Amino acid sequence: MSLKNKLNRLKPHISGGAAVINNNTPPESARVEIPFLPKWESENVTPYFLDQDYCLIREIKYPLAQKHGHYHFHDFLTAVDIWNKQPISHPLSAEGHRADELFFFDTETTGLGGGVGNTIFLLGYASVIGENLVLRQHILPHPGAEVPLYQSFLEKVNYKTLVTYNGKSFDWPQVKTRHTLVRNHVPKLPAFGHFDLFHAARRLWKHKLDRLKLAVVEKEVLGIERQDDIPGYLAPMIYFDFIESKQPDGMLGIIKHNEIDILSLVTLYTHLTFQLCGMDNNQTRKESFEVGRWYASLGEKDEAAKVLTKLVEGSDFTSLQAKLTLAYQSKKEQNWEISLPLFLEVADAGNDTLSQEACIEAAKIYEHKIKDYELALDYCLKALEIVGETKAPMQKIQQQLETRKKRLEGKFAKFPR
Amino acid sequence: MKLKKNLQEILADLKINDSFKENIVTWKTLEAKEAQTVSLPDNLHMALRESLKSKGIEKLYTHQKTAYENIMAGNSIVAVTPTASGKTLCYNLPVLQSILSNPNARSLYMFPTKALAQDQKSEINEIIQAAGININSYTYDGDTPANIRQKVRKAGHVVITNPDMLHSAILPHHTKWVSLFENLKFVVIDELHTYRGVFGSHVANVIRRLKRICRYYGSNPVFICTSATIANPLELAENLTEEKMVLIDNNGAPSGTKHFLFYNPPIVNKPLNIRRSATLEVRKIAGELLKNKIQTIVFARSRVRVEIILTYLQELVKNQLGPKSIMGYRGGYLPTERRKIEKGLRSGDIYGVVSTNALELGVDIGQLQVCIMTGYPGTISSAWQQAGRAGRRHGEALVIMVASSSPLDQYIIQNPEYFFSKSPETARINPDNLIILIDHMKCAAFELPFKAGEQFGEVGTEELLEYLTEERILYQNGDKWFWMNDSFPAHNISLRSASQENVIIVDQSDVANVKVIGEMDRFSAMTLLHDEAIYLHQGTQFQVEKLDWDEKKAFVREVDVDYFTDANLAVQLKVLEEDKLKKMEYAEIGYGDVSVRAMATIFKKIKFETHDNIGSGPIHLPEEELHTSAAWISLNKSFSEMGHERLEQGLVGTAHALNHIAPLFVMADPQDIHVIPQVKADHNEKPTIFFYDRYPGGIGLSEKIHSGLSVVFSETKKMIDNCKCQTGCPSCIGTDTVGETAKSDTLKIIEAFLNPSN
Repeated sequence: MSLKNKLNRLKPHISGGAAVINNNTPPESARVEIPFLPKWESENVTPYFLDQDYCLIREIKYPLAQKHGHYHFHDFLTAVDIWNKQPISHPLSAEGHRADELFFFDTETTGLGGGVGNTIFLLGYASVIGENLVLRQHILPHPGAEVPLYQSFLEKVNYKTLVTYNGKSFDWPQVKTRHTLVRNHVPKLPAFGHFDLFHAARRLWKHKLDRLKLAVVEKEVLGIERQDDIPGYLAPMIYFDFIESKQPDGMLGIIKHNEIDILSLVTLYTHLTFQLCGMDNNQTRKESFEVGRWYASLGEKDEAAKVLTKLVEGSDFTSLQAKLTLAYQSKKEQNWEISLPLFLEVADAGNDTLSQEACIEAAKIYEHKIKDYELALDYCLKALEIVGETKAPMQKIQQQLETRKKRLEGKFAKFPR
Repeated sequence: MKLKKNLQEILADLKINDSFKENIVTWKTLEAKEAQTVSLPDNLHMALRESLKSKGIEKLYTHQKTAYENIMAGNSIVAVTPTASGKTLCYNLPVLQSILSNPNARSLYMFPTKALAQDQKSEINEIIQAAGININSYTYDGDTPANIRQKVRKAGHVVITNPDMLHSAILPHHTKWVSLFENLKFVVIDELHTYRGVFGSHVANVIRRLKRICRYYGSNPVFICTSATIANPLELAENLTEEKMVLIDNNGAPSGTKHFLFYNPPIVNKPLNIRRSATLEVRKIAGELLKNKIQTIVFARSRVRVEIILTYLQELVKNQLGPKSIMGYRGGYLPTERRKIEKGLRSGDIYGVVSTNALELGVDIGQLQVCIMTGYPGTISSAWQQAGRAGRRHGEALVIMVASSSPLDQYIIQNPEYFFSKSPETARINPDNLIILIDHMKCAAFELPFKAGEQFGEVGTEELLEYLTEERILYQNGDKWFWMNDSFPAHNISLRSASQENVIIVDQSDVANVKVIGEMDRFSAMTLLHDEAIYLHQGTQFQVEKLDWDEKKAFVREVDVDYFTDANLAVQLKVLEEDKLKKMEYAEIGYGDVSVRAMATIFKKIKFETHDNIGSGPIHLPEEELHTSAAWISLNKSFSEMGHERLEQGLVGTAHALNHIAPLFVMADPQDIHVIPQVKADHNEKPTIFFYDRYPGGIGLSEKIHSGLSVVFSETKKMIDNCKCQTGCPSCIGTDTVGETAKSDTLKIIEAFLNPSN
């Protein structure tokens, strides 16, 4: 039984003494003791105090000349520059932003799904400050210390746009959820722009990567090798262990993992920019095509045409894909003179589904625009032939083609050439 | 000759028609009741007045007004309302009025099923539209498209959902619902009586969590419950919500004269005491009514029964009325289909509806002239609910209950006074069942950290929190306990199933379309889902091809066979703790914790109709143990004159009969409570009958039986006495007993339990 407790119980009996022991809180200096502080400090981690509690903040500066994967960090400045100089409208465009307004953001959590109880125990981000890339990681030393965690985080972040990997559907909603629980004690969450690189990675590399986890993209695309990395799915277990033992060792592994994730975001954004703006000399034809197709789907016709036209030369599958995409784009503009020859080239090139698609499109143009029912019927029959040979069930297309064929036969009989 | 008869003429006919008359066991006439109305509340918003007026409502029934006044005064209420008494106005009116005076006010409506939620959305939207007011009401369930979920969360004045959705989608994501929880004024719980047993105990805990979240966001909603007639609506509502409630039962809705007939089909096989099939009798009676274009609803207990009766009836009247004039109505119908049926009934295009008990819940199909029940629906309150479907506000109505051969049906039909005079069943819940409670404490901790001294329902939390901390699910820091686990607890907890580790039933009849059709708790699965078992699902027969006990999966295939399987379960029951013990001269009655160890041994194949044993096989499953609560009664008398074997037979027969009657008194599914006999109980070496809860930890059923043991025994005796068989039959003491004396021995034993002087 401590003296303090005893005094508290005896309080009513102590005359005039109440004021002295009224304050239950111990004096300032002794109030928070941080286990293993020297160890933390040797890892660039310092405590941040607020009221009775604290969180930990790690800060590391990287010179911009540092290389991470295939790029140096200063290449990121070039990337921002490129966007600002080119009049291309794209969801990842940093136009109107300075490099130091972007912050690369990633979290570590105690669970893998959503829900209020999934606690964020690490908020990490990096941004360019002066001649350095500065990485900061705010660490929750124990459950319940979220007020200092979010207070310190919100004091530091005055950026315009988040750059994340799948942060739109996971990290940021989870930040909002956990922030709601402490919203009466900390500043509001600012409104951010948001570049989610996961979607970009999926567009560009789905054709060659089975899984699009950041670690896979790093290894296969960005040239980043992780050494002794702790896989992310172990993060909850390691954190639970940390709050029991307070030993920093396991946590330092997770912190390192998070750090590499964030640095890779810088490299990934740089690489994506170079890909999208045609600055990467090592870009494969397939990657080029995906870039062109992305522009086409965004309605950036000129940009799409520029990228795809370069791919038209050649006889590989990609050149056919490029021609078909270009043909569709011209079709949308009702420019039959350009679209028809492209469709025909693809239609005559082979016997695969790509050609079958092109045959149908060619048949449509011949039937409705040029009113050449014989040629229309020719391509319709070719499409049917291809459908008949494919193994995959295509009943719906086959039916539509049969209908078309019937109609064309009728028209051809009525209006022979 | 007149072509068609009206209901009065048919009633007159029935009274003199010999072939019908002799099967009528009871004819009870319930007198008509006038409407009791009062004026609309003075302060009711003009728009709502207009809206009601456009629906032809210029006055309220007394119970609607009482509900309105209490709710507006801030009282939580439970309104007991028979079918078609306008219960929805009891809550819609005060809720809409409150939102009109405070557009920030929010309400949460909870219905037990998605279909009911859809119906109620249409109903409240009709009022809103007619009033021309700007109030948003939305359903929020598994079918709500992702793109409007955001809108429901932020701007829904009235959010209509179900307990499962509240449990697994709303509460664990409460930070997305801040505007709802900050402004929650009303929580409406419709069909209160469905929240009983395990399900009700779970839902009570979901409501504890809801109230906890409300407190966190600073709201304190009024609870509005509506219930069908049960014995203890106030108690149930207060147990479920842990709020002080006002009971509103001054029903002012009118009703016409109602004739309630009990019809027992004639015996066709005297020695086996088998009666004509209820289905065939219903076909005969309903066909007669429909031919005379009298609107009739037929209830049957399974989907298959519904289909059979529907086919019969459509065939019977297709020339006179056309097949579309009689419709089926099962669970799983889309709202549009239901609208079509309702409309058809109102316009008179549809004469007949054949339904499962899906219609028992408050779906509004209007009111018909005749209701026919194919068999006793299982509980008194269900029977009254179904009977409520017949009975216009004016004019006469007819309700016919056609009994099947089951012991329960025969008991009810031979004891009309029990049905008409006894108060309906008591609905029990036990929210503090440790297993259910601890599951919801996990969910609650996931939603918000626990603080020291915090209450969760009626119980203190300290010990439970310590336990969860030791289990490394929670983490204590200072005076708070935090969720520290990587799982999402609500996903592992189903409100509607008994225990957590259920056996999944996989239908592989269609190899290309293998699907899960149900689940069953492990304990029951041992006797119902063993290899080769015939499993009945919604009336369809399946054979279990393989029970994978490690993976907890039963693979079944649809079959059509003329037998069922019956497995023997060797049960060992041990009393762990006697909480209550009353010693009398002739017997002792106890209640406490028991351990039930069960092992399935063999199964028999039994032919339908004849009940011949046509084969058997072994069951290879490990022993299962269940810790639960039980009530028991032990006799001080040894029955030495009877001999060990006859005593055992007699006790088995007694247990069989009790097993059918006991659930009646606790408003439970027969699966939820088990009865087992012991010739020499382990703990006191006396002949003993145990009643135990099938759910681990108990849900209060055996406790209820403990308090009413003598009634259960005396009613069981009456049931056996009234059975016309000589030496025992499936309708009374079952077929496990053999020997000429089984029935008389059973009766002797029951008497001994009842009467100390014998």
